[in-house]
Amino acid sequence: MTTAGVWHPVALSASIEPGSSAGTHIDGKEFVVWRDNSGAPHMWEDRCPHRGMKLSFGFVRGDHIACLYHGWQYDTAGQCRYIPAHPELDVPGSIRVPVFQTVEVAGMIWVATEPTESAPPAPQETGETVSVRSVFFGAAIDAVLAAIETTPPRPFSGEAAASVLRQIDGRLYALTVGSDTLLLGLHSLSGERTALHVVIAGPAARYSGKGQAHFLAWTAELRHRIETQPAAAVAA
Amino acid sequence: MAGIVLYNYELDENCYKVRLALSMLGLKWEPIAVNAFPGNEQTTPPFLAMNPLGTLPILKDGDLTLFGAEAILAHLARSNDPTDKWLPAEGADFAGVMQWLVFSAGALAVAGEARRSSLFDTPGDGEALQASAGKLLRIMDDHMIARGYEGLDWFAAGHPTIADIALFPAFALSRDFGIDHDEYAGLRRWGRRVRSLPGFVTMPGIPDYY
Repeated sequence: MTTAGVWHPVALSASIEPGSSAGTHIDGKEFVVWRDNSGAPHMWEDRCPHRGMKLSFGFVRGDHIACLYHGWQYDTAGQCRYIPAHPELDVPGSIRVPVFQTVEVAGMIWVATEPTESAPPAPQETGETVSVRSVFFGAAIDAVLAAIETTPPRPFSGEAAASVLRQIDGRLYALTVGSDTLLLGLHSLSGERTALHVVIAGPAARYSGKGQAHFLAWTAELRHRIETQPAAAVAA
Repeated sequence: MAGIVLYNYELDENCYKVRLALSMLGLKWEPIAVNAFPGNEQTTPPFLAMNPLGTLPILKDGDLTLFGAEAILAHLARSNDPTDKWLPAEGADFAGVMQWLVFSAGALAVAGEARRSSLFDTPGDGEALQASAGKLLRIMDDHMIARGYEGLDWFAAGHPTIADIALFPAFALSRDFGIDHDEYAGLRRWGRRVRSLPGFVTMPGIPDYY
């Protein structure tokens, strides 16, 4: 199974509530991630074909997303369905926003930036996950991975233990410390900006609340290290 | 003059804090429009007599004249909210509200400077102001993500307080100074809850629809 390069994690599932949207980037390109009221996630180019307004500034109504500028409404296939200034118009099929394959795996929303038959990365840890947060760094993915190795978390459960970072597939990593495992989605916003989407592989009964806060503190330490150390020292 | 009078400039985020509070508390009030841009009327002697700092907002409530949005919010909540929800009277909820009001009036003022630099070309290094404002929004986002683990939707208590009102404009208007909401999942979630409160109103720069 190899999916490298096609599938990208773009958000934690928990960060995109039904009926809401957020802008994001992949390798410098702008996208909007949104969830319709039935709970299905979507990712599109973040650009209304009408005037180029960012759709992430717009609003979700039912299974449509509407542009903030002139209210043009698009269905979940990216097809424009309604133009308020021309309510009687049967909207031409050519008014369409590019959409991308979107799935939820490991507590994250994954998208394929090109059409693909390949499955998204999947962890062996297929059980319950608990969200920690998405954290953002002014550094490339390699520097973030290096910093994770040099600034590992302490285990939440039990004594201090060595950490093991392993690539599951493509942009999905597992970081194990003691009996705790984090699933990490590495998301290249641009050549010099990276998002790290962090979830705990384990039951909410064990990690909800204090366990989440424990690993939140680690993300803050990691960010502090990347921001305060010279790049060479982080990579060393 | 009887009743509540707000010396107001529609595009000022600090005036917006007060307009939000007045609306959410369901109070009757009169605006007096101030020519803050380009006139800088708030820095002329009649205004300096009410607020020697030369800033907006200024509130008159009966015989009382008050400046500083956070102090005005505290006054409005204390004198009009018999349930003490908007400004809790004691304990950790009171302390939390005070912490975030001071944050709002102090450190977070840089977000207002970034916005004025961007919109009105006021003096200052726009990029440095934007970077500072981004770090403060990040402090707020980190806090709200941690609150979420406890099942709490608001900054300082288990319900909305004037701290939420004071903090909302810096986040909601951040696109005015070039900071998008992409990287602030905790604040996006909180912002949607603020928008759903009874009496919520927008201002230019904050969409009506959401």
